[in-house]
Amino acid sequence: MEFNVKVRRHDPSANGKSPTQTYTIDIEEDATVLDALMRIREEQDGTLAFRGSCRSGFCGDCSMRLGGKNKIACRTTMAQVVKGDEVTVDPIRMIKVAKDMMFDVEDMVYAKYEAVEPWVEPAQPLPEREHKVSNEVVKDLRKVMSCTMCWLCDEGCTTMLVDRKFLGPAALTKAYRVVADPRDSRTNERLHNLSDAKGVWDCCHCFEATEHCPKGIDPTERIFAIRDKAMKIGAGNYRVKGHYKSFMASVKKAGWVDETRLAIDTEGGFTHFLAQIKQIPLGLKALKRGKMPRPYFLHPKRPGADKIRNIFRKVEAQK
Amino acid sequence: MAYAFYPGCVSKGGCPELYPAAVKVCAKLNIELAELTDVGCSGAGCLPQEVSDPINARTLAKVEQMGMTMMTICSTCQGVFTQANHRLKTNPEYLEQINRDHLAAEGLQYNGTVDVKHFVWVLDEEYGLDNLKELIVQPLTGLQIAPFYGCYLRRPPELMVPKGWERRKTVLETTIETLGGEVTKISGKGKCCGFPIFSANEENALEMCGTHTLEAREKGADCMVTPCPLCHLELDGKQSDAARHKQAKIDMPVLHLPQLVGLALGFSPKEMNLHRHIVSTDDVVKKLESVRT
Repeated sequence: MEFNVKVRRHDPSANGKSPTQTYTIDIEEDATVLDALMRIREEQDGTLAFRGSCRSGFCGDCSMRLGGKNKIACRTTMAQVVKGDEVTVDPIRMIKVAKDMMFDVEDMVYAKYEAVEPWVEPAQPLPEREHKVSNEVVKDLRKVMSCTMCWLCDEGCTTMLVDRKFLGPAALTKAYRVVADPRDSRTNERLHNLSDAKGVWDCCHCFEATEHCPKGIDPTERIFAIRDKAMKIGAGNYRVKGHYKSFMASVKKAGWVDETRLAIDTEGGFTHFLAQIKQIPLGLKALKRGKMPRPYFLHPKRPGADKIRNIFRKVEAQK
Repeated sequence: MAYAFYPGCVSKGGCPELYPAAVKVCAKLNIELAELTDVGCSGAGCLPQEVSDPINARTLAKVEQMGMTMMTICSTCQGVFTQANHRLKTNPEYLEQINRDHLAAEGLQYNGTVDVKHFVWVLDEEYGLDNLKELIVQPLTGLQIAPFYGCYLRRPPELMVPKGWERRKTVLETTIETLGGEVTKISGKGKCCGFPIFSANEENALEMCGTHTLEAREKGADCMVTPCPLCHLELDGKQSDAARHKQAKIDMPVLHLPQLVGLALGFSPKEMNLHRHIVSTDDVVKKLESVRT
């Protein structure tokens, strides 16, 4: 079939201009987009720049936007992304582009990886024989280790759309790899670092990362897992801690969420007097519109709240 | 048609306009609701799974005894329940452990047979939009409505939009069209509203809220509609802060889905509690009235 492949050409010396260029190519519908790009480079335009090494979904080099969707070019056929006879090819957006589809990993990604210090540091002295790690843990970690660093999770990330400094799902999943490794001796320190600004609590858990991961690693769940661990050791800023503690306390007490109390506790409780004053205008508007949730001292218990409380107690006792 | 009805905390708390609107609309549609009262909060992603899974298994066990499908009116409740239910249904050992450790003492047991569906899925997949269309007495003609899905009704996709259920990806659009309204497309319709990170990073949360509401404004929408009251808390409640943050005038009314359905079914704006929003819905009401007269 004849395709028109419309490629975004980015030339760093062209003052930020990146026009599109269309190449016409006759290739099978089930050929991969990477096959097509390689044919174009060989037969029509040797200046077209992109990466692609393993051609079988292992190296994570050929991430790009195909037909507007974030994909790995070697695992995507022309038929999957063609509209009419046109296939659009653009670079991914969350990383600075070096040329055409080639992105500059040094720019941001490696810096974020470095920030989470993704290496295991076992306690000293090392044991005389090997570390014993359960099968369950290894199975879990092996899944995370199958990450090919294709950055498609970062590409889909909703928080990164508004804040490029957010560590992002790729680096945080790598952080999980170390945090969940029982051999590591710095777990608590790491959890505190990962709870700093731009870390796990900035994730809006929209599951875009999970949707975009071609390896089924489920980065969103990994971030949740780090947060659960962080919460247990009291990491996180006062607003995050206030929010989660308050949520848990009201469900434990009454079976459901006490939203008035939640709003107060999220701002640090009554001792953060100025922060509470900031909430008054919205509170008044809500009051005027009959939208104010019942004040917390009137927050009624749900029927069966004692049964919910038993679940909390049992979980606490099991630890 | 009868459903075990799980209203969630927010439809009676921060968005008290939602619960009565949903109940009235269901009554009009002859959808019988058996409201669950003796059940806990789903956890909304704020409780660790080791606590929320047993709480939700307890709810599902009660629904199982009723022999019904459970209906939610909140995407966040829906997302949490779909994911918890999936874990319980696909991991018999885990289910058995939760039954043994937490439910047995109350004489309850969950066998993994319950389906959980959001109101909008019930309308489309079980009630039928054709049947809904027949009951419409006040079509929303001329009203430009920007659908806002948020996150949890669509992701993770293998659970929320499994193979064969692709219609869920556009269910808000098809519902709006059934009601006689016009769809305003916004690129952020499936992105995060900002609500989940307002405690961790308020600036990012306002940027998200401002981006979506402003986009709806710029594309000419009269209002937005959302199936999630938590999105509503952000898009409606925090909109004036977001407008300040974006240094722009926004004033974009945000309706809950049941309110929109109710208006088309002939309920008055007051009956649908449109006066109980932070951002004024007056312009929406005026536009509807001008079409009707």
